[in-house]
Amino acid sequence: MSVQAEARPVPTADWVTIEDLHRDPFPIYRRMREEAPVHWVPAVNRYMVTSYEACHIIENDQEIYSANETNSLMKRAMGHSMLRKDDPEHDVDRKSYGSVLRPKAIKETWNAIFQANSDKYLARLKAAGPGADLIWEYAAPYAAENLRLIMGFHNATQEDLQRWSQTMINGTGNYADDPEVWAASEKSYNEVDDAIDEILPYLLKNPDNSLLSGLAGMPIPMEAIRANMKMTIGGGLNEPRDVLGVAVWALLSNPEQLAQVLADPSLFPAVFEESVRWVAPIGMYPREVTRDTVLEGMALPRGARLGVVVGAANRDPKVFEDPEVFDINRPKKPHLAFGGGNHYCAGAWVAKASVAGIALPQLFAELPSLRLDPGHPAVDAGWVFRGMTELPVLWDRK
Amino acid sequence: MAKITFNHAGGDVDVLEVEPGTSLMRAAVTNGVAGIVGECGGQAMCATCHVYVREEYLDALPEISDDEDEMLDCTVEERTDRSRLGCQVTVGEGLDAVEVDLPESQV
Repeated sequence: MSVQAEARPVPTADWVTIEDLHRDPFPIYRRMREEAPVHWVPAVNRYMVTSYEACHIIENDQEIYSANETNSLMKRAMGHSMLRKDDPEHDVDRKSYGSVLRPKAIKETWNAIFQANSDKYLARLKAAGPGADLIWEYAAPYAAENLRLIMGFHNATQEDLQRWSQTMINGTGNYADDPEVWAASEKSYNEVDDAIDEILPYLLKNPDNSLLSGLAGMPIPMEAIRANMKMTIGGGLNEPRDVLGVAVWALLSNPEQLAQVLADPSLFPAVFEESVRWVAPIGMYPREVTRDTVLEGMALPRGARLGVVVGAANRDPKVFEDPEVFDINRPKKPHLAFGGGNHYCAGAWVAKASVAGIALPQLFAELPSLRLDPGHPAVDAGWVFRGMTELPVLWDRK
Repeated sequence: MAKITFNHAGGDVDVLEVEPGTSLMRAAVTNGVAGIVGECGGQAMCATCHVYVREEYLDALPEISDDEDEMLDCTVEERTDRSRLGCQVTVGEGLDAVEVDLPESQV
C-alpha cells in the first residue's frame, strides 16, 4: 500500500468566511483543529494548516514546503523579498542584514533610541489625556519611529512608515483581491523605492548603524534591497505595535495577572511571550508544496498552496493547556509566533527589547491605575495580521 | 558515523549516531530529542539550542564566534564556561563523539 493511499483526504471547510476570520478567527481555528490538521478553505483559496505539529513540520522543511510561492500576494505587494525565498538564495539576503538587529547592537545603539522614542510618544499620550487611544497615540508612532531609525529612513517620517506598512500589508493580505487595496499598496511601493534611491547615496557618505547604511556598500542587487526593505517595513512595525496593544489589553482584562506584574516587573518578558502566543501578530503565512506529500496524515498534492496558521498552532491544546486563556504563569513552551527554521523573525530581539524591555514597564510605571475605558470598549481584529484596532484607556493624572 | 550523548536535566539520556557534519541542534531536532528547540534553524539567532559540553570535549570545539558569544548571553539558563549553542557545534572530523548536558529550559 502506498503512503498516499494511507493518507486521509483533506476536508473542505466551506463554512469559513473571511469576514468571520477577520472578526474572531479563534473559534474557527478550534473547530478546524478538532476536525483535522489541514482543511481546504474555498474562501481563502488555499489549504489552512492549523495544528502545532503540522505547522512545525512545515517550517523546518523548506524542500517540501517552499517559501517561494507562485502568484504570491506578498511578491506583488512588496517585491520578491527574502521571506519568499528558500536557501541558498534566502541566506544571502538574510546575511546582508548583518548585526543590525542582533542583541549587541540593540544594547549599544538601539535601546537608547527606543527609550527616547518611548518618552516622546508617552508624552503625546499623556497630553491627549485619559480616554486617548493607546494604539494610535503611543504604540503605533513608537513602533514606527523605532523602525524608521533602525532602517535609516532619514528622509521619511514615522507617519510615512505607518502608511507604507499598512497599505503594503493590506496588499499582502488581500485574499479578497480588492482593487482599491492594490492601488494603495502600489502607491506605497513606489514611494518606498523613491525614498531608498534618495537615501542610499546620503548613507554612503554619512554611514550610521542602520540597515540601509549597511546595505549601501554591499554587492546586493537593488531589486533585493528594495523588496527586503518593504518586507521589513511590513514586518517590523505593525507587529511590535500589535503585541504591545494586545499585551496591555490582556493585562488590563486580567487584574490578578496585572497585580502580579506590577509587583514584579521582571515578568514583562513573560507577558510579551504569552501575548504573542495568545494572539500571534502574524497569524498566517504561505507555503507551497513542491511534491505530492503527506502532512500529519493528510494527503497534499504538488503545487498545493498552504496557509501556515501559527495563530491556530499557538492555541493547540496538544501543546498548550487551556490554550484560549491568557496566562503568563503557564508552563513555558516554544510558541510559533516568530516562525521557525531559516525564516525565524529577524526582528525578534528588537521586538522584545522595545516592547518588553522599554514600552510596557514605562507605560505601567508612568500611567497610574491604567485601565480600560468602560464607555469605549477596545476592539481586536484581523486574522492574517491581528491586533488591537482601538484601545481607549483611562488613568489617574498624577 | 559520529556519536552524540544528550544528558537531560531530569537524568534521562539520549544517544544518537549521526552523519559527520551534523550539528548538535539538527541532530536533536531531527530525532525528536526534547530539551533542544532550535527555533531559528541554526542561524545563531534564537539561543534555544543551549548545551553544556562535558569538560573532556571542550578543547576539540571550534572557537566561539561573535554571533554565538552574543547569543550565549541571551540563554534562559545561566551561561557557564561549558556553554555552547548546539547549532554551532558540528560532529565529524576532530570530534567523532561528544557528550553534553541539557539545560532545564530553553525558553
